[in-house]
Amino acid sequence: MSDNPVIEVDDVWVRLRGHTVLEGVSLAIHPGEFYAIIGPNGGGKTTLLRVILGLLTPCRGKVRILGSTDAAMRKDLGYVPQFRTFDFQYPITVREMVLSGRLGHITRRPRRYDKKDHVRTEEALETMQIAALADRQIQDLSGGEQQRAIIARALVGDPKVLLLDEPTVYVDAPTQAQFYEILEGLRDRMAIVLVTHDIGVLPGHVTRVACLNRRLYTHDTNEITPDMLEAAYHCPVDLIAHGVPHRVFSEHSREE
Amino acid sequence: MFEVLGFEFFRNALIAGMLASVACGIIGTYVVVRRMVAISGGISHAAFGGIGLGYFLGIDPLLGAAGFTVATALGMGALQLRAKQQMDTLIGAVWAAGMALGILFVYLTPGFAPDLFSYLFGNILLVPRGDILLMAALTAVIVAVVAFLYRELQAVTFDPDYATVMNLPVERLSLLLLVLIALTVVMLIRVVGIILVIALLTLPAAISRLYTTRIWSMMLLAVALGIVFTVAGIWLSYLLDVPSGATIILVSTLAYAGALGVERLREG
Repeated sequence: MSDNPVIEVDDVWVRLRGHTVLEGVSLAIHPGEFYAIIGPNGGGKTTLLRVILGLLTPCRGKVRILGSTDAAMRKDLGYVPQFRTFDFQYPITVREMVLSGRLGHITRRPRRYDKKDHVRTEEALETMQIAALADRQIQDLSGGEQQRAIIARALVGDPKVLLLDEPTVYVDAPTQAQFYEILEGLRDRMAIVLVTHDIGVLPGHVTRVACLNRRLYTHDTNEITPDMLEAAYHCPVDLIAHGVPHRVFSEHSREE
Repeated sequence: MFEVLGFEFFRNALIAGMLASVACGIIGTYVVVRRMVAISGGISHAAFGGIGLGYFLGIDPLLGAAGFTVATALGMGALQLRAKQQMDTLIGAVWAAGMALGILFVYLTPGFAPDLFSYLFGNILLVPRGDILLMAALTAVIVAVVAFLYRELQAVTFDPDYATVMNLPVERLSLLLLVLIALTVVMLIRVVGIILVIALLTLPAAISRLYTTRIWSMMLLAVALGIVFTVAGIWLSYLLDVPSGATIILVSTLAYAGALGVERLREG
């Protein structure tokens, strides 16, 4: 993993409504990584994603995508928002929604889809196994199918990184297993950043885990060792299962 | 009953109603899917301030309304985007302030404002030829802009966050949509009046939503429904000798209630 990072977050601070939400957060995501960011609700996970995506400007610090701070670089990010953050009643078919994920790549004005855009869309529909649903309205799909449509929209732009915000919250267990299988299949094409409060669903093949609770606590390893998983999983498991946040702080206070 | 078509005022009324229906069906679709009904109400009532300003300055009140509503829409949009103001409070303030300004301007204007009532409740039977041309031009602009930016507007109204990540000019597109709403509202003032605008803007699109799956098909059906409602309303108001704007709105509302009722029965 000597490649240049696809995403660099450099000393990012965010204050919202008088509260410090992120405090000096730095991280680097390299090609091929499966990076899991875990932490309690309200710990700033979604805020960090929004900063990376350019939806929120930090009061201090920088985000570089492929080494550049240019907003146009965001076209190389695929984003799977927290479920139901947009209006599923909107009259749009699955194919139209997935196709719209190509808009960031279109340079001519006015934006028109060409053959490549349509080909990529059919590929993404196939990858997510929803080609048969392409002409249905998204409001007529089941939760799991909607989830796959949202991921297909993120994939259609050929992202270098796929960022997923709590992707499994509203999905039942068998669908979750299927979902992680699909993610595993994408690993050779893009880095994956997974944000979740639910430590129980983290798949075994993450390459790096970080805990976020205002500050980011990274467990710096390049390869998975049982020790590292033990160290990384221990505190948040306690935290989420028993709701005793103090344990995290005491475990990590050495690093501050 | 068809001899009335021989009168120019009646033909003008039908043409005005159809032009308004085209604008309503297209822009109303965005208003309904993006849930901007309240903000459109605020913009339309702010238009009264522009009408009053027009009287005060001695220019065509509709011209005053056009400038005033566009400025109001841009102001509201900017406040929402930049200052992150709570939108429903903002709408309430603009709604009332627009009406209040209108009343003050009319009061300060020497003489009497003879057709004030027709701006509030519409009088499609009195639309002059010049206004028809203005409405045709506005409709052409709206159709052209939406045809040109269909994909961008779809992305922005469906999921603005994702549109931002794709580096679309979300802020400019949102403001453009507000300007289009403002222009549509101004067109509708002649037809149904400031107070009733909101119903004609939203009801055809809301009914259309029940039967369509895409933005463009929703627009087409909403335009067709709007034409049926306005023509039926104008005809009924002529036959019964009652105000046209109110009749158009009641026809639309009855159709909406009927459509919801049928939908309810179908779902069991």
